[in-house]
Amino acid sequence: MIPTSYYVLLSVAVFCIGVFGILTRRNALIFLMSVELMLNAANINLVAFSRLFGNLTGQVFSLFVMALAAAEVAIGIGIILVLYRNFNDVDVTKPVTMRW
Amino acid sequence: MSRPRLKLGPHLAKGVGAIALFVVLAYLVLRTTFPEVVGFPDGVNITASIGYALFNLPGGDVASEGFLAPFEIIDIVLVAALVGAVMLARRRVGGQVAAALRTGGEEE
Repeated sequence: MIPTSYYVLLSVAVFCIGVFGILTRRNALIFLMSVELMLNAANINLVAFSRLFGNLTGQVFSLFVMALAAAEVAIGIGIILVLYRNFNDVDVTKPVTMRW
Repeated sequence: MSRPRLKLGPHLAKGVGAIALFVVLAYLVLRTTFPEVVGFPDGVNITASIGYALFNLPGGDVASEGFLAPFEIIDIVLVAALVGAVMLARRRVGGQVAAALRTGGEEE
């Protein structure tokens, strides 16, 4: 039996890779990938604790997290499309105001 | 001489912050003691149990809460998100949403 702390450690590592990507990158598409990494870190935690307690609630919940991630990516891609159309770039540091 | 050089400076602070976050969290996780793993018994059908739990049906092998209401709500959320994405991605001809987000400079 693999101890639960290893799963939680993996989840921490994946989450911090996501945070690293969001803090250091400027490409909007890589932002989306990093957010996805952070959501999947939460999924790893949910599934690991589901096994720890012998209860399926965590696994079902991770399915809902995946559905929300799909919705978020759909909106994100739409926003990036508009961003590219207006700025000819997907650099997130270029748009600095909400209205212009 | 042309070779890649490591450019040190304050722009590295954010990445170092993320790594520091990992160190702190990993330290906390390794200090924590988790209870004994219960796990799932042999021979139970976990996939079928997830299906039963999603629709509030009895008959699953493993205990879980019912998730029928969240299932229906996430349905609405997904449809709203996909329709919103289509609205955003639509071409400008007659598209009010893209026009609302347009830059002041270029008019097409």
